[in-house]
Amino acid sequence: MPSKSNRILTMSHAIAEGIANEMRTDSSVFVMGEDIAAYGGIFGATTGLLAEFGEQRIRDTPISETAFIGAGVGAAMAGMRPIVELMFVDFFGVCMDAIYNLAAKNIYFSGGNCKVPLVIMTATGGGYSDAGQHSQTLHATFAHMPGLKVAVPSNAYDAKGLMISAIRDDSPVLYMFHKGLQGLAWMASPEKAATEVPDDAYAIPLGEAKVARPGKDATIVTLSMMVHRSMEAAEQLAKDGIDVEVVDLRTLVPLDRATVFKSVAKTGRLIVVDEDYSSFGVTAEIITSVVERDPTVLKAKPRRLAFPDIPIPYSRPMEQFALPNAEKITEAVRETVKKGH
Amino acid sequence: MSEIAVPEGLWDTSKTPEGIVGNWFYRDGSMVEAGAKVAELMVEKTVFDITAPAAGELHILVPKDGVVRPGTLIGRIDGA
Repeated sequence: MPSKSNRILTMSHAIAEGIANEMRTDSSVFVMGEDIAAYGGIFGATTGLLAEFGEQRIRDTPISETAFIGAGVGAAMAGMRPIVELMFVDFFGVCMDAIYNLAAKNIYFSGGNCKVPLVIMTATGGGYSDAGQHSQTLHATFAHMPGLKVAVPSNAYDAKGLMISAIRDDSPVLYMFHKGLQGLAWMASPEKAATEVPDDAYAIPLGEAKVARPGKDATIVTLSMMVHRSMEAAEQLAKDGIDVEVVDLRTLVPLDRATVFKSVAKTGRLIVVDEDYSSFGVTAEIITSVVERDPTVLKAKPRRLAFPDIPIPYSRPMEQFALPNAEKITEAVRETVKKGH
Repeated sequence: MSEIAVPEGLWDTSKTPEGIVGNWFYRDGSMVEAGAKVAELMVEKTVFDITAPAAGELHILVPKDGVVRPGTLIGRIDGA
């Protein structure tokens, strides 16, 4: 008998399957958002759910994030486990009161008497010329706010396990998937974003980073799409005898500082790569986590590679110029390793 | 041996003559069960699932992103 684990799922199918697994065993789980039912989500994250669960539990909403993210918070506090899809993270503005002031704070404001088991699932990332209001990642915008957990998968296996943990968590979780990792037929995706995925339910705990590639000469700490760019860089550097460790954060809140520190203590060199804006972001947080614990583990100054502090250009040459990529990462690692000698 | 062909009449070819293989869900040479969803086709932005007609070893004839029409042979399954 063939094992079902030889199935290769795209990240979009893995997310939908994780949701389906939980919906089959927990009647309080439901999904709502724009075009998530009949269409299956514009990035495929709810594909096939309407057919199995029906329109009571898979609910298309009007284009009003203010209304349906707010409704999600209320439903979560009333005992449901809603998953609401914010179609593009860039559209957070009109529902930020519900996210920042209600979802994030109501557990605390109620003295712990109310839970808010809400998942806000949202699409991030650029690289496909969709301009400044459809290409942001905004990792730091959500990781910054106390009370929100933040999951950021880089591949199908992690995407399913993190979705299941997000649904089971009693706190609100921002679940941020990169459009370019979803494996959609109309958007290029790195080959390794699609992985073997068991069809049973399994949970990957929030707050556990993963060493995606072990190495001894330098540590790249990264997440989401940039895991794949960093792995390309690591393969390139290996040809020149530079052995890079790549740490995939997988979640930003809780942040697995222990795994980051352990890796940097081993290699002595740190390069942080993020697709979000450079200033006041994930890159600074990671570097600070290491330096404030023990700066003497560093043999060279830490480096960060992120999106420059400008709105994301529409023009393909301009956007590609600004995005971190394997070539820039390779160069940053080379400089860091050279200066460390 | 069973053939995996794009079913005739799957979509209106007078409007959209061609589609593509959006994804294969098993690697070439994998063992699959009868009825397993092995591939999806993308026509405009509509997705069609393709299932295995029999159990056995999957051989991919049209790779991901390859262009297909109704009737195109996209793979075959050698009986277990």
